[in-house]
Amino acid sequence: MSELVRLTEVTKVYQGGITGALNGVSVTVDKGEFTAIMGPSGSGKSTMLNLVAGLDRPTSGTITVGGTDLSTLGEAGLATFRRDHIGFVFQFFYLLPNLTALENVLIPAQLKGNPPTGRARELLDQLDIKEVADRYPARLSGGQQQRVAIARALINRPTLLLADEPTGALDTHTGDQVMELLGGLHRDGQTILLVTHDPKLATRHAARVISVKDGKIADDARLESPERAPSEVIRVRSEEAPR
Amino acid sequence: MSLKYGVLGLLKEEPLHGYEVKNRFEAMLGGTWELNIGQVYTTLQRLERDGLVRPVGPRGDRGKLLYELSPDGQKALNQWLAEPDTGPQQLHEDIYVKLLLATRIANGDLQPMLARQKRTYLQRLRDLNRLEERARRDGRIDLARLVRGALLHTEADLKWMDELSSERFGTEGAARP
Repeated sequence: MSELVRLTEVTKVYQGGITGALNGVSVTVDKGEFTAIMGPSGSGKSTMLNLVAGLDRPTSGTITVGGTDLSTLGEAGLATFRRDHIGFVFQFFYLLPNLTALENVLIPAQLKGNPPTGRARELLDQLDIKEVADRYPARLSGGQQQRVAIARALINRPTLLLADEPTGALDTHTGDQVMELLGGLHRDGQTILLVTHDPKLATRHAARVISVKDGKIADDARLESPERAPSEVIRVRSEEAPR
Repeated sequence: MSLKYGVLGLLKEEPLHGYEVKNRFEAMLGGTWELNIGQVYTTLQRLERDGLVRPVGPRGDRGKLLYELSPDGQKALNQWLAEPDTGPQQLHEDIYVKLLLATRIANGDLQPMLARQKRTYLQRLRDLNRLEERARRDGRIDLARLVRGALLHTEADLKWMDELSSERFGTEGAARP
């Protein structure tokens, strides 16, 4: 698989000792990977995501996405880069309250001109919320709002989908559904970087788990996905089973 | 002895012979606890001796004997179900002893060991996640529930690794009483 993201010796220092700093992070992500970034709050995992998204700039080190060195881009260049290559899903959805679901989905596309209303409706349909297209966010459930946010993230067919605790504000069941959606997108080829503090969630869809601690990568685990029989995974009363 | 009560519980649903007890018990636990048929017959004989089950009718096909729950068996089962599980927590995986020893022997440098163990737990979580997904898809709700319990346990183990790896193990880690 070909490389999509590369961080080389990336540091991020915040003035005033704000947590979330990065301290020499080097890592690559291939196209088509579903990678989870895990770590406690303040470990720097969200900072990593924001830097890859071009929402923030590193103090030192380089970040390339799809071969583009983000440090070579000015503010306008970064905005175009984000619009064309990055889809971002946040914990708290961030939908604009005075726009309908459909209009929210179209925001990133409108920055490009020529709004693809057809594709937006298709996405809402695919995410099973086409019936709420003309509703305002206040009239949507949390799960529906996050689906709208996912559709908005996908409208420009991003090279990279970034999700920062996308189920953090949802109940378990709705959260599972949202994760199922992300899993489906990945099976269709979408590259996804997911930030989460929940290892159950991280390992459910991601076959790679990067653990971040104190601004550094503490571990980079590539997990296997074989079909194992129940008895290979769990033993009830293992003291009675022969070893 | 949950095999004893497992047998009583299955017989409460309907009378069964030994092989059916074995198959249903294993199916309920999704194959995570395998029984040999001898164990099942011994258990049934003991239960019969204690008056908790009784044979129904004569020996059938190939000597198969059907058992049903007796009123005393019903009472014993209800009592067992109503009792909370008490007693000390069971920690029978090697890792608990291994880590304590390692703090003494490895002079406090647990990090590589913790990292390896953590990775093993991540893989286990992935395996459990996939198993749960398959169990739900196949409608095996007993197994899915069991897997969910295992998932949450493994999450706790992982959390413990995280706590240990942020702890400072100096000489006090290896201190002897």
